[in-house]
Amino acid sequence: MLRVPGPVVDDLDGVCLISNQRHAARLPPTLYNATLCLAPSSIPRALFAAFKTASSTPTNPRSPTTAAASPSTPRPAPGSSAARAPAPIPQPPSSAPGPSASSQLDVADQLTTARATLWNRRYTRREPPDIHLHPTHVGTLSVADRTDSNISVRSLGGGRKIATMDKRHPSSFQQLEKLGEGTYATVFKGRNGQTGAFVALKEIHLDSEEGTPSTAIREISLMKELKHENIVSLYDVIHTENKLMLVFEYMDKDLKKYMDSYQSPTGGPRGALDAPTIKSFMWQLLRGIAFCHENRVLHRDLKPQNLLINTQGQLKLADFGLARAFGIPVNTFSNEVVTLWYRAPDVLLGSRTYNTSIDIWSAGCIMAEMFTGRPLFPGTTNEDQLLKIFRLMGTPSERSWPGIASFPEYKTTWPVYATQELRNILPQVDGLGLQLLGQMLQLRPEMRCSAQQALAHPWFQEYNARAQQQQAQSMGGMGAGLAGQMGGFR
Amino acid sequence: MGPPAPPLHLANSLASPMHLETSLSQLQDLPRNVGHAIRFESARLTQAAGILLRLPQEVIAQAIVILQRFWTGPDGGNPLEQDAKDAAAAAMYISAKPSGTPVSAKQILTVFAYLASLRGDYAKAQPANNDSQTAELHFTQGQYEVARDRLYKVESEILRVLGFQTHVALPYTLCVNYLQTLEVFQSIGGSKVAKRAIAHLNSALLSPQLLYLTHQPSALATAAIYLAAREVDVKLPEVEWWEVFDVDREELGFLVVGLTSLEGFASECKQAFSHQVIQMTAEDLRLEMEQQELVQEAA
Repeated sequence: MLRVPGPVVDDLDGVCLISNQRHAARLPPTLYNATLCLAPSSIPRALFAAFKTASSTPTNPRSPTTAAASPSTPRPAPGSSAARAPAPIPQPPSSAPGPSASSQLDVADQLTTARATLWNRRYTRREPPDIHLHPTHVGTLSVADRTDSNISVRSLGGGRKIATMDKRHPSSFQQLEKLGEGTYATVFKGRNGQTGAFVALKEIHLDSEEGTPSTAIREISLMKELKHENIVSLYDVIHTENKLMLVFEYMDKDLKKYMDSYQSPTGGPRGALDAPTIKSFMWQLLRGIAFCHENRVLHRDLKPQNLLINTQGQLKLADFGLARAFGIPVNTFSNEVVTLWYRAPDVLLGSRTYNTSIDIWSAGCIMAEMFTGRPLFPGTTNEDQLLKIFRLMGTPSERSWPGIASFPEYKTTWPVYATQELRNILPQVDGLGLQLLGQMLQLRPEMRCSAQQALAHPWFQEYNARAQQQQAQSMGGMGAGLAGQMGGFR
Repeated sequence: MGPPAPPLHLANSLASPMHLETSLSQLQDLPRNVGHAIRFESARLTQAAGILLRLPQEVIAQAIVILQRFWTGPDGGNPLEQDAKDAAAAAMYISAKPSGTPVSAKQILTVFAYLASLRGDYAKAQPANNDSQTAELHFTQGQYEVARDRLYKVESEILRVLGFQTHVALPYTLCVNYLQTLEVFQSIGGSKVAKRAIAHLNSALLSPQLLYLTHQPSALATAAIYLAAREVDVKLPEVEWWEVFDVDREELGFLVVGLTSLEGFASECKQAFSHQVIQMTAEDLRLEMEQQELVQEAA
């Protein structure tokens, strides 16, 4: 049995919008023409419900699909007395109060088709041509699962239920000024035509070298799964013949720009942030990292340019173009240029078996940079980067790091540096902060703390207390498991 | 608070019954057995190409699952519109590209051109050892560019149909993990069980029941172990151990039947198409079906 014929009608505006007319092509051409003549605005939503009600009634004398889509019998002109429902539709036994199904079906018969207009008895005596339209399979047109050029958030969620959003058409985003340009994408500020809200439009360059860039495939496939308040939201993907555009939530600036434009109220050095802001940012950064790691995703490219800040002081992780789910054998970075400054020593040494700890190293580098306003290890080459790290952390040896000699980039010619005290280099950091920083900036990956451990560090005591309080409240209140939901911190 | 959700990337989003009933053979003028055969054949082609490209089995399996997802659902690919061999090549390309073992468009196109020349008998594939053979497979720059552009087009079509749902959680590592948990490796024949279980998981990729689209990797791994242990005759715990891995008896039973029925399906497929090659391009397929209609009308 054909299930719900409603979508045939409900889908009409969609049919007109689809750029490549994939679906239109599958309809019999006559039906396609006929359906296009229906003005979408003239179809009340109630009709959909009416069809559903009617089709669920087994004794329905006439298939609603044929009624709507197959005027093989001359269709009465709208408004004529014959346009009333020809047979009373039996009410389903448990129908809710409201307009009866039959009165709703009247609306259906007021619909007009090309055929009804062209062969209207009022205007012509000619017989309608003998064309029989077959109802098309409804599944092809069902709205909820349709994938057209514009992949809605609905379908991004895969099997998971995600709050449905309005279907968007590329033109419903107004493109404003350029925000930045990377190797594989240009980012524009945009405005949602319907709500007026700002969005970030990331336009992916489709080159002839690799088709759809692997960075885009990774980013989209991972980000639509990662929904967290400290990870920038992917709203939509607009995918047309020659364009791929990702629609992200709009953030005001990245951490790099934020630091460059920041003037400390206490008059610290240019670029350095004040301690409460740093703590808030670090808390949010680590929460975002922890969420990624819990979901078995490595970001692999954390740097101030990839951390976005909004006017509410929220920090969110962005740019998952190099991120990957772990378990996949990890590629070397050879063809993927990443800023060296935040790269972990084990990666610099050529490790191919790195893990979540590489993101923690980057977080440590970023924390130090927020205090001083300058990058902690601004290396120029792989070798220089390692030496800059060793100058501070001490040159590792087989004694301090068993197994280091087996790394591909290990050299016996490294100058031997002694380990420096962090507090001498970062005098502006408080004792607890230095302790946490020391746990994150460990040369040996297995010695670095995890994101969860970092969040539990006493340096974050007030945040942890607040988180626990809110967890207790939310469990006492709605019990909706919203423990993780906390507002932004200023 | 409910139980913690499993990490997103250990699970797959599964095909809904609606997806399954609106796929391929169900919808279009394609006879059901032809639809199944094309799915089976395109998966087999992908597996063969992956081996020739020396890709890890994870990447190959991911490509096959991507291909199966593409053939599924109301908007899924239609082998009457989309050459099945192109879809297989693009799925392979999508799977390998972001992995640790990317392959170039040229490598993909060459391998698929070679496999097309074998007309379905992939067991005949062998390393090229004479120049005449490789010369035949050599693309001119013009041919290459045309083929490459088509590959990109099919690639973006697949990504569009999938909604970029390219991540695939696979059961292989889980399977080894479960075997260790069950202490199977300690028993005599333990590694035999493991090999057999992995073999079942590879075969399941070709299943007409689309087991990888309808069951989570944990269930697939559990069923493969259960079946392998029975075949090798290795004793597993007497208790209902599968419940530890979040698989209930009903699902386990269904999967075991699904896995055992695969051999029958494959040989049936082979027999049914023994006199002919399964058509892997849209045009050949259309011609073939028109011919069959004529034969039927004549009869």
